[in-house]
Amino acid sequence: MRKTTLIICLALVLGLGPAAALRAGVQAATDESLFREAKLLVFDKSWTAALDKLDELIDKFPSSPLAGQALFYKGECLSGLGGREKDALRAYKSYIRLEDAKPSLVEESEGSIVDLAFDLCARGDASALREIESRLDHANKVVRYYAAYKLSLVADKKEAVKAAPVLSRIVETEKDPELLDRARIALLRVSPESLKSAEERKPRVESTVRMLRIRVMKAGSKEPAFSLNIPFALADLALSAMDEDDKAAIRKKGYDINKIMNELAKSKESILRIAGDDGSVIEIWID
Amino acid sequence: MAEHIEKCPECRAESGAIERLLAQTEAVRSEIRAAAASVDWDALPGQIADRVMSADGKARRVAPAERSRGWLAALRMKPVLVGLVAGLVVGAAAMYFALKAPGPGAKGNAGYYASGEFLDRAELEMARRNTLDYLEKSQYVLLDVFESADEGPVVPAAVRSERARDLLQRKQYLNGQLERFQMAKAKAICDQIEMLFLELSQIDSELTAAEIGKIRGLVEERQLLLKINLVKKELQSGV
Repeated sequence: MRKTTLIICLALVLGLGPAAALRAGVQAATDESLFREAKLLVFDKSWTAALDKLDELIDKFPSSPLAGQALFYKGECLSGLGGREKDALRAYKSYIRLEDAKPSLVEESEGSIVDLAFDLCARGDASALREIESRLDHANKVVRYYAAYKLSLVADKKEAVKAAPVLSRIVETEKDPELLDRARIALLRVSPESLKSAEERKPRVESTVRMLRIRVMKAGSKEPAFSLNIPFALADLALSAMDEDDKAAIRKKGYDINKIMNELAKSKESILRIAGDDGSVIEIWID
Repeated sequence: MAEHIEKCPECRAESGAIERLLAQTEAVRSEIRAAAASVDWDALPGQIADRVMSADGKARRVAPAERSRGWLAALRMKPVLVGLVAGLVVGAAAMYFALKAPGPGAKGNAGYYASGEFLDRAELEMARRNTLDYLEKSQYVLLDVFESADEGPVVPAAVRSERARDLLQRKQYLNGQLERFQMAKAKAICDQIEMLFLELSQIDSELTAAEIGKIRGLVEERQLLLKINLVKKELQSGV
């Protein structure tokens, strides 16, 4: 009896095993091909067609490991389509909640949620701001920083200023020049005084200069047409962003703006005055 | 005027009083500023002169002839002194406004200041530079991947994945700027590269020849490297 049972079990294992494996192989080929096709369509921004493929994948193969990832790409399609931001938010949030969610896609999802919330807020949905604010103390600094940066761009200045503590922290602690410049400009928008405090708290080399000042006075005017006080670290960016007419006036006088900056940086608190032919005066100094 | 004040004790006393008054105004600058704002400075000297002339007449009525010759001289000088007082007050106010008023020029003297328009221009410049940097780094990553197919892994898979992830983070910041400043061509190419990096960031192991072949096929079919170079040229020339 025991021998007969063993033979039956063995026959079942040998018979059903390959059948199950075969079935799994067929499924993998199908969900994988759907996924691959969908990703190619996403690559070409064919959002509707990609969405159809992803929905098909999720419907037909709900237990496939790719069905989870499909949620992320669904979020991409929905946000790309426009007008379906709330659906996109749901898709990203569903993906983040998955146990096997990939860290790089989770980071991307968080960033996309912040972007979508920002767009919704710009169209009058003030409640969407909560999505951004709640990420200001996110454990992942990539998410935290991005939320602060986006919040600083919100039109409501009372809300935007809530980004100041995180932005100040970036200025104080970060080394990446791109991130630093972004945080400085964002703070100049929402809270220049916070930028000053953050720069002061930051450990400085003794010889480091702190502030670049530029004034452009038009002929016959006592008020400066252009006035700027910014951290010297933004000097290069500031000079590139100067009005073309002002830059032309400097060039016309035969000055090399890069040399000027180097000279001013060396001789602290010296001032450069450039008088234009039209009576305008440009003053640049560092202290 | 100075000689007269030196000789005439009464005028000297009056001048001293004015000086003390002006010194005291140092302590009440804010009040002066508020008061000064409500005064019609053009009409003020005339008004003061009118009032003093009437007060002068009154004084003459109270004590007509007992005064000495020196006193009479001082009396004759009163309109001049009034003019002097008015001039000093106007001058002090003008000095105060010139040195202390927080006009646009002095607005940011104590701290950082930049106009919204300037910050927009700075962000545009930053978008241009950072997109250029993003495209250059993307080229390196893609070329590394292709070299891996020919000569074996040039960059370890973990490093490549980390680089892809770093570029994805940078791209997040660029998205808004590229849209805001209508840099459509740059946005389109950066979006396509982003999808490739999404794939690369998820692959921690070495890429198989088949995977590299797929990526290479996609890049060549869409002429991504050529497009990257064209957009880079445009950005470098500030277009």
